[in-house]
Amino acid sequence: MPINRKTSRLLNSPYVAWAVIFIIVPLFMVFYYGFTDDSGSFTFDNVAAIASPEHMHSLLLAVALSVVSTVICFILAYPLGMILARNKASNRSMIITLFILPMWMNFLLRTLAWMTLLENKGVINGVLDFLHLPGINIINTPAAIVIGMVYNFLPFMILPIYNSLSSIDDSVIFAARDLGADSKQTFFKVTLPLTVPGIISGVTMVFIPALTTFAISTMLGGSKILLIGNVIEQEFTLSYDWNLGSGLSIVLMVFIIINIVVSSISDKKGEES
Amino acid sequence: MKKELIKLNHISKAFDGELILDDLNLVIHENEFVTLLGPSGCGKTTTLRIIGGFETPDKGNVVFDGVDITDLAPNKRQLNTVFQKYALFTHMDVAENIAFGLKIRNKPQEFIEDKINYALKLVNLEGYEHRMPNSLSGGQQQRVAIARAIVNEPKVLLLDEPLGALDLKLRQDMQYELIRLKEELGITFIYVTHDQEEALTMSDHIVVMNQGYIQQEGSPEDIYNEPENAFVADFIGDSNIISSTMVKDELVNILGVDFVCVDKGFGEMKPVDVVIRPEDVELVPKGEGTISGVVSHVIFKGVHYEMEVTARGYKWLVHSTKLSEAGSEVDIKVDPFNIQVMNKPESEDEEALNPDAD
Amino acid sequence: MRSKIEKLYTGIIFIFMYAPIVTLMVLSFNSSKSRAKWGGFTLKWYINLIHDSSVLNAMANTLVIALISTVIATVIGTITCVGLMGVNRRSRAVIMGITNIPMINADIVTGISLMLLFKVLHFETGFVSVLIAHITFNIPYVMLAVLPAMKTIDPNVYEAALDLGAKPFHAFRKAVLPNLTSSVLAGALMAFTMSIDDFIITYFTKGSGFDTLSTKIYNEVKRGIRPEIYAISTIIFAVVIVLLMMSERMRNRHASVRKDAPLYKVEKRISRRRFILMLVPAFAIIILGMYFGGVFKRKSNQLFVYNAGEYIDPEIIEMFSEETGIEVIYDEFETLEIMYAKIYQDDAAYDVLCPSDYMIAKLIDNDMIQELDLDKIPNRKNIGQQYMEASKAFDPGNKYAIPYCWGTVGILYNTTMVDEPPTSWDVLWDEKGAGEILMQDSIRDAFMVALIRNGFDPNTTDPEELAIAADDLIAQKPLVQAYVIDQAKDKMIGGEAAYAVTYSGDVMEAMAGNEDLDYVVPEEGSNVWLDCWVVTKKARNPEAAMKWIDFMCRPDIALKNFEFIMYSTPNTAAWEMIEDEELKNSEVAFPGDDVLKRCTSYTYLGEEGDQLYNDMWKKVKTGE
Repeated sequence: MPINRKTSRLLNSPYVAWAVIFIIVPLFMVFYYGFTDDSGSFTFDNVAAIASPEHMHSLLLAVALSVVSTVICFILAYPLGMILARNKASNRSMIITLFILPMWMNFLLRTLAWMTLLENKGVINGVLDFLHLPGINIINTPAAIVIGMVYNFLPFMILPIYNSLSSIDDSVIFAARDLGADSKQTFFKVTLPLTVPGIISGVTMVFIPALTTFAISTMLGGSKILLIGNVIEQEFTLSYDWNLGSGLSIVLMVFIIINIVVSSISDKKGEES
Repeated sequence: MKKELIKLNHISKAFDGELILDDLNLVIHENEFVTLLGPSGCGKTTTLRIIGGFETPDKGNVVFDGVDITDLAPNKRQLNTVFQKYALFTHMDVAENIAFGLKIRNKPQEFIEDKINYALKLVNLEGYEHRMPNSLSGGQQQRVAIARAIVNEPKVLLLDEPLGALDLKLRQDMQYELIRLKEELGITFIYVTHDQEEALTMSDHIVVMNQGYIQQEGSPEDIYNEPENAFVADFIGDSNIISSTMVKDELVNILGVDFVCVDKGFGEMKPVDVVIRPEDVELVPKGEGTISGVVSHVIFKGVHYEMEVTARGYKWLVHSTKLSEAGSEVDIKVDPFNIQVMNKPESEDEEALNPDAD
Repeated sequence: MRSKIEKLYTGIIFIFMYAPIVTLMVLSFNSSKSRAKWGGFTLKWYINLIHDSSVLNAMANTLVIALISTVIATVIGTITCVGLMGVNRRSRAVIMGITNIPMINADIVTGISLMLLFKVLHFETGFVSVLIAHITFNIPYVMLAVLPAMKTIDPNVYEAALDLGAKPFHAFRKAVLPNLTSSVLAGALMAFTMSIDDFIITYFTKGSGFDTLSTKIYNEVKRGIRPEIYAISTIIFAVVIVLLMMSERMRNRHASVRKDAPLYKVEKRISRRRFILMLVPAFAIIILGMYFGGVFKRKSNQLFVYNAGEYIDPEIIEMFSEETGIEVIYDEFETLEIMYAKIYQDDAAYDVLCPSDYMIAKLIDNDMIQELDLDKIPNRKNIGQQYMEASKAFDPGNKYAIPYCWGTVGILYNTTMVDEPPTSWDVLWDEKGAGEILMQDSIRDAFMVALIRNGFDPNTTDPEELAIAADDLIAQKPLVQAYVIDQAKDKMIGGEAAYAVTYSGDVMEAMAGNEDLDYVVPEEGSNVWLDCWVVTKKARNPEAAMKWIDFMCRPDIALKNFEFIMYSTPNTAAWEMIEDEELKNSEVAFPGDDVLKRCTSYTYLGEEGDQLYNDMWKKVKTGE
């Protein structure tokens, strides 16, 4: 739509002002607190504190669990995306709705429900016991946290993958088959590379929230397992050390920036093509 | 007679209970440019996809070079397809696209490079190796798609309305290009289109299809000059198709006036359809022709005038380089050789031959 | 075959997605309050909802925030998308880059950054701050939905409208906006959903006295959620499904009617109906929200009370309001440390708090609570003298605090799951109990257990002694099922664990819920604690605070409260009124001197001592 510069500046200014006040300035505050001590003088200690064994341990554990969750989400989501994308007859908006619908039951409640399902005397063990099968004992372990992460973030992996898969023209797949590729070659040489943007956005949308969660680990980890998110949360709610909390948040942002760089590189590639 | 290369025997195919092809039989010869021509939904694309291996027929079989390939996967067939919407791999550059089939077959790198250069030269795209498909124009993308198919040295190239998305000028250029390519490669082209002009320009052999049936096969000249039924006549070029009565051999009654013709064997006093091409209708001064009428519309078309003449309740379409003013009274005259008499459809199957049936 | 496998796979994923939802719905009909136990079908949680103003409040807040933030974000987002069409590529890239920040950034960082902004500006956190935060993260969802549609619009459409004589705004509204409607609605729906589902950002920006469903739930999660919350969530979920089905049906009818009816008529009818359909809930939500949320009618006569979780009979709050006309904003904390951090950081301070002994000393020390106006609390005479004496340990002149409840810390155990009744803390380090132990998720209590077990003073600040205790706790960790607070009660009733370190007050209710449970105060000794009402220095309504404390000291109120929460009352007058002799003489609720003799109360350890405990605790939690 053609709009002259003046009008567009007028239209954009409310949001630009909003974004500066509520996005840019707050981020600046995090950096300010992260790089100062409580007397306000510059320090590197808060960021360097990540190297302490407790913090490092919680960071590495968080990275490990979120990587595992992301991989599981991907493995679960890709075949489902393919099935849904192939199933042209079914209503697209219906599929999306079905995956968004659970969000209307509060995130914490859904996670709480997993406690009920996974507990030693929980629903799943009840069913297993009824079938005379050995029970599972995973509540309050990293495995339970991974289940919680996969459960909560799976839709964010499925939707972008499904979108990118369903935007592939059938004839491209036919073309690959026509040129001699068997179904396996077609998948690895054509389908998979064409969905890379979807995969990257899915990975971002699973990995970042999984890496930084504190609610899931609190609920399904029985407060036994502290992830970096828990540490940061406690700096603000328990130890009221804003400087240290901000410093550790800056460390988290490094991961996020890495992610942005990776996805923008792939975006650029996508734009060139 | 050229060698038979592909034979479709009694092919039937239905989608969701709707019959798309019904007992189709077709023979395609070596080194032929065959066009499957018909309106959308006539089954031409399905036929092509069955040859390509993307659809399996419900009944019947496909024989390629004497071997039954009905159930053979597409990647095992010695033919390649150029798709309507190009179907280029957007994540690969031009060279990678072209090399795709060769890499799958594990050809040596040097061979692949030679082939890429050869193919790009063939389609006039030298120097475009490392461009990404989305940065090319429609015509260029189509050329890449063709190059990608032909480097695999298929015995048959299937083309599914490959020029449909191009504009007129480019389409005409590509038509000549395709004819040249076919001559240079010396392989069979099976070409699907709904554009009769394209079919007439390029083909050695045209197969006119409608509603899952082959209406007529033959050379472009046969199809144009001797349409076997009203559908073909109507679909190929503009025609005057008039419901008439065959009085006896070599005499047909059109709109109540007897015309001399050259057709025989229709019986006596039988209802028939008569096809007269607009360029075969002569307009002569009043009193010199067979039927009298009035010119109701005139449009200048460049090469000729297109005129509509109302005579005996029928609106005749006339193409002529000589102008008869709108409103003027004229007579119509037709050379006996230019009157094409066809049977009227009788059975239910033949309903399909009637273009108005749907 | 293949399609069968596909169906099975899709089915399994959907079961995975919806199993927790179904579980929650089933729980909303469970008459047992415990998550772990099915006590039969009931509708009582739904009926209770009508009176449960705190849950209704939270729901209204959630919906109002979601609705308003969605509307504002949709308007701003759409306008910006239009504006972006007129700027050059570079500026557009910059704006979109900024827009992407809240999408890509971790919620925790976004939440913290906004919290810091509000704190530094001394902006009172509450409804408005949460609303601002939600608008901030909602705008990107709208823009990402609208911008692609914007780009596909034929520029000539707008020009054609201008050409036909429309004014620019009119041209936009009539020619451009209709093409955007579906994307704008999709963006708005996404924003609304995200707002409803958000927890983390709300958690950091909400401040005191304001809760959405999310934060309410998180607050309650640690001690077992009240089933009313399952009920309200089930209702919300059901309403959403019904709305979805209605819109789906309307779309179908739209399609079927179209064939035989004149098009314009159908369109008109449908659009009018859809309009009404959208308007009704929108108005309902707003009115409900204004009613319950009290957003726009901040009363002056309010009292902010901050107490531990499940530590009062809610009816008493209502009775207080009825008698005095003072509206009570009642919030709950999980641990004293969290409470302290909140008071320390929050500008919107609470009026009345109910901390324990050592925390009161800390509050006095940091000048955060004020001396009580004892003349206004005549009912304090009902508190037993021995408790007033005991409170002198942290409040030497009895000037700051009035006792509310007291109790011991001990081991709650399931007699069917242990070989013999435990007598010592050592049982919590016994391999036999592996995976069956629930430890307290509060710093002082956890360290108390380890310190006493090693023969140290539970109030020590000796780093070496603490290090030994920390190592002991780390060594115990593999045996521990979970660190919990109030949840212990629920888990023990459900038979989830054999041992739990608990407060004596919880024991009474747990034993009522499960006959197999018993309680012991280990012979090495333990902690005896005393919780008292105090008034903050920054209290805005000290007058009401005194009234509250006096009200709580009334014998009839103290008795009613005791019968509800079952925590030992120091109110002697109330104790005398207990009719149930067994309860009155309960060893658990009112232990004899032999037990009390071996128990110590916590003292305030000073800033450095606290820091030491904090650091050690972090080590325990992250250690292996």
